[in-house]
Amino acid sequence: MNKTQDIIKAIHSLVPPDRNLKIMNVCGSHEHTISFSGMRSLMPENLELIPGPGCPVCVCPESDIIHAIQLSKKEEVVLVTYGDMVRVPSKKGSIRTDGINFRIITSPSEAIRIAESEPDRTIVFFSIGFETTTAPTAAILETGIPDNLFILSSHRLTPTIMEVLVKDREIGIDGFVCPGHVSAIVGSNAWNVFSEKYNIPTVVAGFEADNLLLGIMEILLQVKEGEFRTTNVYSGVVRPEGNEQARKLLDKYFKVSDVNWRGIGHIPASGLELREAFSDRDARKLFKLEEIREEKIPGCICGNVVLGKAYPADCRLFKKSCSPKSPQGPCMVSGEGSCNIWYKTYK
Amino acid sequence: MCVGVPMQITEINYPSGVAEAKGVKREIGLQLMPEDTLQIGDHVIVHVGFAIEKIDRELADEIWDTLDEVLQMMDEEEKGA
Ligand code: SF4
Repeated sequence: MNKTQDIIKAIHSLVPPDRNLKIMNVCGSHEHTISFSGMRSLMPENLELIPGPGCPVCVCPESDIIHAIQLSKKEEVVLVTYGDMVRVPSKKGSIRTDGINFRIITSPSEAIRIAESEPDRTIVFFSIGFETTTAPTAAILETGIPDNLFILSSHRLTPTIMEVLVKDREIGIDGFVCPGHVSAIVGSNAWNVFSEKYNIPTVVAGFEADNLLLGIMEILLQVKEGEFRTTNVYSGVVRPEGNEQARKLLDKYFKVSDVNWRGIGHIPASGLELREAFSDRDARKLFKLEEIREEKIPGCICGNVVLGKAYPADCRLFKKSCSPKSPQGPCMVSGEGSCNIWYKTYK
Repeated sequence: MCVGVPMQITEINYPSGVAEAKGVKREIGLQLMPEDTLQIGDHVIVHVGFAIEKIDRELADEIWDTLDEVLQMMDEEEKGA
């Protein structure tokens, strides 16, 4: 018998027969592995693997997308952002369909190069994502950015949204598989709150199927023992204290702020904005951007998908009018979005 | 966007450097790692062009095996779609 089969067998023997369990993953890459490997079909019937808020593109507020589109229409501005962001729909279209001056970048360093090569224009870097993309933006600020480069920060904090989920009884999470690379930054200790305060078995796992299965097995072991801890099965990458230098830079340039999550609403202390000392680099301040009221996308239940309250297949638009080629909601856009992943794997 | 890939450092001009994966070289930022912890030949996880953590060679290979599989599946899906 091989290792994978051994772990799956152990998972079956550890699942308590008399209760339904929900284990949530909080990372698009985990959902990818689970869906593409067909892992769900190998699990016991009373064990659900639910995707959670692992897709930053999915939760970026509509307001920021509309601002990005509008900024790109200003003659003096070039908007730069990651590829997925240009396809996210809003009531004013997407950056790709309705924006004018925009460029796709794959790294914050490219924003610097564009700003240097076009010194007469104002470059706005629409910087989004969880800790793995916030830290690189902090890194370019540390090195120093050209005077004509400004940041439109739409960064979000993973631990905060997870705490919101834990408190929501409707979801009823029995275990967390925490994101591997976010953990490399924040450290596995960042998740101790879930096992210690909320008694939720918590693991940090990598993206390889066996490693994820190992994480699931560890959660079930904790359920069985009734003892809760945060276990790191991805210790080749993740240290308990995380990447201290990255965390220091994050803290130097960004401060925690109250922000909106698309389809979910306002969540206190769940986002990051530039600190006052660097507000001269803040595109929100430069252009005096005000929050625009979000409009619900008719039929789209993306917010509930992100919160683990619904599966993509529960949406009546899924695989009908909503597809990666014609996304109706944000969860269908990025390869980390649950609807996008399920589109390719759900039969 | 959020996918981290293992790369091997081939040049260090702190705070930047050059790293290689699958025969492709790319300039990367090293600001998120302390300078004295980095050496040419090190394997690192790179997110949006920045090294976020050092890993050993074996793990780098394992992660690439998984990534290769995922990329291949996505490729097939795209062709089939
Ligand atoms: S399938 Fe499309 S419309 Fe439905 S929840 Fe997902 S993104 Fe929204």
